[in-house]
Formats: sequence, structure tokens, C-alpha cells
Amino acid sequence: MKILRYLLIISALACGINACTKLDLPPMNIIQDNDVFSTSGGVQIYMARMYSELPIEDFRYSPQRGLNMFWIISPFPAVTGEALSRDQRGAMTEAVLYWGDAYKLIRETNYFLQALPKYAANFEAADLDSWIGEAHFIRAFTYFSLAKRYGGVPIVSDVLQYPAEDINALDVPRASEEKTYDFIAADLDTAIAKMSGSNQQGRASKYTAAAFKSRAMLYAGSIAKYNQVSLFDDSHNRLCGLPPEKANTYFKAAYDAAVLLDGHFSLYKKAWAAGDKEAQYQNYVKMFFDGDSPENIFVKQYSYPQSVHGYDAYMVPLQCMGPNGYSSEVSPTLNYVEMFDGLPKNPDGTIQNLDGSGKYILYDNTMDIFAGAEPRLRATVILPGDNFKGQSIEIRRGIYTGSAAGGISPLIPAGSTIQYPTTNIVQSANGSQTPYTLPNGTKMNPAGASGTFFSEETCSQTGFFIRKYLDESLDKSQVKENNEDQTWIEIRYAEVLLNKAEAAYELFSAGQTGANYQQEAFTAINLVRERAGADLLATAADLNDLKVVQKERRKELGFENKIWWDLKRWRILDKEQNNSLYRVMMPFYVAENYKYFFDVRKDEKNRFYNFDPKWYYEQIPTDEINKSHSLKQNPGY
Amino acid sequence: MRKLLYAIATLAIIATVSCSKLDNFPQPNATLTGSVVDAGAGKTTIQTETGGGGTRVKLEEISWSDNPTPFYFYSMQDGTFNNTKLFASTNMISVEGAFVPLVQYDNAGTITVDKRQKVVLGSGAQNITFEVEPFLRVEWVSEPVVNADSTITVQARFSRGTTNPGFQNDVSDLFLYLNTVPYVGNNNYDNRYSKQVTYSGSAGNALLGQTIVLTTTGKLPTKRSYWLRIGARTTYGLKQYNYTDIKKVTLP
Repeated sequence: MKILRYLLIISALACGINACTKLDLPPMNIIQDNDVFSTSGGVQIYMARMYSELPIEDFRYSPQRGLNMFWIISPFPAVTGEALSRDQRGAMTEAVLYWGDAYKLIRETNYFLQALPKYAANFEAADLDSWIGEAHFIRAFTYFSLAKRYGGVPIVSDVLQYPAEDINALDVPRASEEKTYDFIAADLDTAIAKMSGSNQQGRASKYTAAAFKSRAMLYAGSIAKYNQVSLFDDSHNRLCGLPPEKANTYFKAAYDAAVLLDGHFSLYKKAWAAGDKEAQYQNYVKMFFDGDSPENIFVKQYSYPQSVHGYDAYMVPLQCMGPNGYSSEVSPTLNYVEMFDGLPKNPDGTIQNLDGSGKYILYDNTMDIFAGAEPRLRATVILPGDNFKGQSIEIRRGIYTGSAAGGISPLIPAGSTIQYPTTNIVQSANGSQTPYTLPNGTKMNPAGASGTFFSEETCSQTGFFIRKYLDESLDKSQVKENNEDQTWIEIRYAEVLLNKAEAAYELFSAGQTGANYQQEAFTAINLVRERAGADLLATAADLNDLKVVQKERRKELGFENKIWWDLKRWRILDKEQNNSLYRVMMPFYVAENYKYFFDVRKDEKNRFYNFDPKWYYEQIPTDEINKSHSLKQNPGY
Repeated sequence: MRKLLYAIATLAIIATVSCSKLDNFPQPNATLTGSVVDAGAGKTTIQTETGGGGTRVKLEEISWSDNPTPFYFYSMQDGTFNNTKLFASTNMISVEGAFVPLVQYDNAGTITVDKRQKVVLGSGAQNITFEVEPFLRVEWVSEPVVNADSTITVQARFSRGTTNPGFQNDVSDLFLYLNTVPYVGNNNYDNRYSKQVTYSGSAGNALLGQTIVLTTTGKLPTKRSYWLRIGARTTYGLKQYNYTDIKKVTLP
């Protein structure tokens, strides 16, 4: 009996001991810190996620539909005035507001910065430093994306704990715009200090952070200098606007950051040859496709089929349209084309299409007027009649059937927005054209194979198409949405040179000494111009206006989704888009003498552009305002 | 089968029961009316446009919180406002538009001027008037004239509405707006016929107080009415327009 009792006790205890096996386990189906942060593979996976969320405005961005959206009709260049588009008929500000995703990514960086040091023993110190630097870079990139939109934003530099923390502590108010930019600068300084000079492609290095700092600080400097809007909260924080007296501090920071890249990167000139316009043109085209380009500082790679975009499908000229349609989304404006060197110009800088007696100048070929154009123009814009994918891109508005004797007078009065007259002109409504019989008996379609039609809008709207980033080797059958995978270059060395030039010019014009700023700006501008095949500045004294730097930037970085932000930070967009119509250049064929003339006019479709000055600071999403007790909305919303 | 019918009937009864009582909170019945007038001569209302570019009324309800999220509504284009669906509440009320701000800050963010009005809204109507200094006073000098070529010529004048030098920014635009409906302003005009003049830098300031002649562009279709208005603006802040009142012109 006693034995039985012992047995019972022992078995009871034995059962009890079993229960001592730890039950309080972390859920097995959720990845733990230990799984991620203890190996370099885990860290790389975490990094990949953060990079994929980085707010890069690339082939998958448009202000209408936001970031990481394949459908980029309503293209960004048609918002800035670089181009017109059938799907974007005026100025706009972003319709999809970047806010919630930013704070998600910021939380991921904060979490990374908090968790990784606990596993420091697993890694080499250099690796650890580099990763910490990268996280700081990603956080700075994200905060800059917020600051350029909203001004001062809530700064969260730790992992917020919910529900452990008091709800009021989680309701972080906006910091001043100054503190926000200073936070970005501090993060980038950490990144520069901790990272090494090279990294895997698509990831940041010390120089990426420096290049990016030159951009961010340049923005801050010009906002400090040119901004007119002010907004304070109850605690005296200036949420919109930077103190003007800090402009030079920011410009100096931008300049110093740009100098860090000296000698480590260079402009892409692998196929470049002095004095050879064709080589310079080819070189400029190739720059966007060379994975080993010494100019690429930070890129975002795509790879079919996992990660793709549809840039070519939307942008190619009509006659190169792929099997699923689209094409012709972006037609560069004449205002943009006229900025380039080597075109016949009137004294006021507009293109010369009329002779001294006010008659059209006649050309044998539509490319003749562009014979002397700087190579960068051809590499950025497809000109009418230029060669692309082995064919001549045919752009023609109509055939002039009237008499050419004694010259042809302008078809419509200067500055007019009326439609072309129908007498003496044959035109086409759309791509199904009725050929016109020329005096020599040959037949010719009134409009070119890529337009321009007077009704159908899938064609060139301006006389031009975009060339930059288009993949010439892509077969027509492959020009489809979600089928392209060329690399997006987010920061290239040309931008850093232009950042440097602008910061230096601003410092020079503010009377700052410390370096020969005027000379530095002059050198940087001429490096960019030389590679582009543009006219060089003769002396440093010719760099006498900020407009010189601004124009160079618009030419070099056009169609790279940067110009809108530039025009905004210079606070000139509301003047450029003030009840404005952009100009176009329409080629006409003269039946009588088999020549071409160009009619320059305001946009035929009457797309007026009006930039509302309140858009300099975007609207903070209203649901965020409603959720918070302390978020203050920007002025005018 | 019958069971099923009963079941459906029961469900229907349960479902419809929830349709009875709805909202037991009384509907908002406070009314706020008022106008924004020129503090200077004449006390005329400050003409504006409807919507985002025009004058708006800002209500900060301080019944519950010192730091409320503001509620806005827009004024009508003649500078008066009327909202009949407000809840009874205590508010700090101000207006924002093309005039010297009612709340001003110095460079350190300290409030230096605060002309907000504390208003208790209850049942019934409250009428308030804000006296403000417009950036520009825009006036008709004479009646619009219809020309033989189907255009309309007007004479206008703009002058400073404030003596405060901090708000005397450069005059940047003068605009003769034309529309085919009585709602006309920078938000609503026919861009084929309206005439804009822009001034760069301080060039526009030389024209303060001068009579300026403006003519519509393009040939207007005849035998119909048009509504005209002149707007002008400075480079201050959000660069909103000040306006004249609206004149109707009928082309024979």
C-alpha cells in the first residue's frame, strides 16, 4: 500500500516536472529578432525590405498615383512644364500624399538601430558600423522626402511602444522645419562617418550619403533664402519656413558635402570624343544603361520578372508602340527644347522659324533646323525626323497645299490659341489617314506616322517625344507594361556637380569667402556642359546669374523627376505656371516645293497651367490631422 | 418548408427592429453669419472668390480643448458668409484671405497681433463683422465699354489697402476676368477672353493709384451677357487676389 502511495507521489511529481518544460515560448511562426539580426544574411534581408520601401521617385512614380505604382500615365514631366501629355492637362500637386508609409519605414530604421547593436558580438565591427550608417541614410532619405513636401514633420528617432507608452507621448507634434533639416543633416553625417566608400550596387555608401546631403542641404538653403510662407505652432516652432540667416550655413553644408565626392566619381565619358557630336550623343544615351558607369552614385535596379516597370510602353513614339497600346505619354514642350544650345534663335531666346520678312524658313528635312543642336538635346528628346530604333520618327502636323511663291506667312497670328485654318492645309484626325497626292504624283499621309493628329491625342502633342531612358534595344513586341527593367539612377555625379555649382554660386553671391566659390561653380558647370556638348562658359565672370545654374540643371536633369522639386524650392513655379500655356513646334510639309516649315505656337489644346502658391507646402493628410491632437495643418488647407 | 418560412420571418423581424431609433443627438441649429469689411474708407466688404483661393472663416472650438483642430468654411464671393448648421459651442473665430492676417507672429513665433473674436454660438443666429486691411484695393474707374470689334475695355485702379510696410509686397498680377456666369474670379474664368498682366519685381508698384486700361482678348460672341471682374495680387504669403465687385455687360 505504501509502495502504491509512493508510486502515486512519484508519478505525480514526474508529471509535474514535465510541466516545467518552458511553455512561455515566442510564437514559432513569427520571425524573431534573433533570427534576423544574428546573421549577416538576416541583416541583408532586413536591408532589402527597407531599400524596397525607400521613397524613390522613379519609373513607378507619378504625382497622381504616388510611389511604387506601375501606371505612370499623368506623367510627372507634364506637371513641371518639361512636357505636355494627353493624360495630364494642367498643374497639380501630389494627389497621393506620402506620410503613413514614411513613418512605417522610419520605424523599421529605428527598430534596426535599436536591435542590431545587441548582436554586435556576431559581426565584424566594420560591417556593423556600415549597416548602422546605412540605416541612418535610409532614415534621412525618408525624412527628406517628408520635409520637401510638408516642411517640419514629427521627428521620431526611437521605437515608439504601444500600448506600453502613454498615448499622449505617442502623439508627437511637428518639429520645426529647421530641426527637421538639421536632423536629416545629422543622420547623413553619421552615415558618412560610419560607412565605407563602396557597397553592393543599389545600396548606399559613404559617398551616397554625401551626395544626398548635398541635395538635401541645397534644398534647405534655397528654402531659407526664397520661401515666403510662415507657420508657427503654439510652442514657437516654425513649422513652415527656415530662418533666412541660415541660408548660407545650408549652402556651405551642401558645398562641403559635394566636395567629399571629388576624385571618387566622374562624369560618364566612355564613348565621348571631343568635337564629335555623334559620339557625344551616343555617350549621353549610353550613360543611362551602363551598369559600371563611374557617374552612378545611387541606383535602383529592376529585374524581369520579379521587379519591373513599364517606362518604354508609355513613353515610346507612336510608331514604336508595343502590342498592348499606350505610347506617346510625354511630349517635351518647345519651352524645354529651346533651353538647349545650337539652335537658330531669335534675340529673345526663342527658336527662329521665320525669316527677316516674317515668312517661314523652309527646310528639306525636319532635322535640318536641329543640325547644330547640342548632343544632349538629341539624347534627351526625340526630334522630328531623328533616328530611333532604326527608323526615322515621323512627326508632321499637316501638308500645306497653298502657294509657296513669295514665301508662306504664319498660319495663325502670333500668340494665338485658335485652331489651324482648314483652307490650304490637309490634316488627319487620327492614325487612319487618307493619303494626299503631291504634285509629282507620289502619295503622302497628311500627318506623320507618330502624329500630330488634330483629334486623336495618342501622338506627339508638341512635335517632340522623350528620348532619355528609352531602351533602344527593346524589341517592339516587348514594349509592354510591366515588362521593362532598366535601372533607375537616383543620384548621379552630374547632379552633385550641379549641387556644388549652385551652392557655390549662392555663397559667392552672398559675399561668402572661404573658397573661390565663383571659380568652383564655373568649373563644375563647364564639366557638365563639356560632356553634354553644350557651349562652354567663357569665363567665371559669365556666371553672373542664378538662372545660368538653374537652366543647366533643368537641361541636365530633365525628365528625371527632379525638376518639380527644384522649381518648388526656388519658389518660382507659381510665376512660371501663372495662367500659362506652353509652346509647341509643329512641322508642316509644303506640297508645292517638297519642303518643311515649322509653326511655333501655344499649345493647341489650351492646357492652361496654374500653380497654386499654397502647394509649396503640401497638405498633410486630413486623416492624420484628425487622428492627432497636436498635428498642425499647413497654411491654406 | 414552413419552418424555413418561420425562420425567415423571424430574421426579418429581428432585422427590421434595428431600423427603428437612429441618432438621438439634436441636429446642429446654430447659425453664424457675417462679413469681412475693409477697415478703411467706405467699410465695403472685401470681395473674394469662392473656394480654396478665397476668404475662409476659421472656427477654433474652445469648449473642450485649448488646442482644437480648426474647422473652416468658405465665404461667398461678395465677402459675406453664412453657415446655418453649426453646433452650439464656444469658438475663437477669425478669417483668412487676401488681407493683413488677424493673427500675426514675430520671428520667434510669439503672437504679436490677435484680432480673433470669441463667439458663443447657441440656438439662433450670430452676426459678426471683421474689419480687415486688404493688401490691395481694386476699383472700377468707369463703366466697362463694349468696343466695335467685340471686345470690352475697362478702366481700373489698384492701391494699397494697408499702411503696414510688412504687408506692402510687390504687386505681381493684374487680371481682367470674364465669365459667362455670375461666378467669376481666379477660380472661374474663360481663359480665351480674360486678360492678364504680370509685373516682374517691383515694376507693378509704380502703377499703384494709376488708372489702368485693360481690354479683353479675342473676339467675344455677341448677343449674350458676360460678367467681368478685376483682380490684383501681391507676392505676400499664399498670393491670393483682391477683387472689384462684378459687373454684367451685355453684348448687343
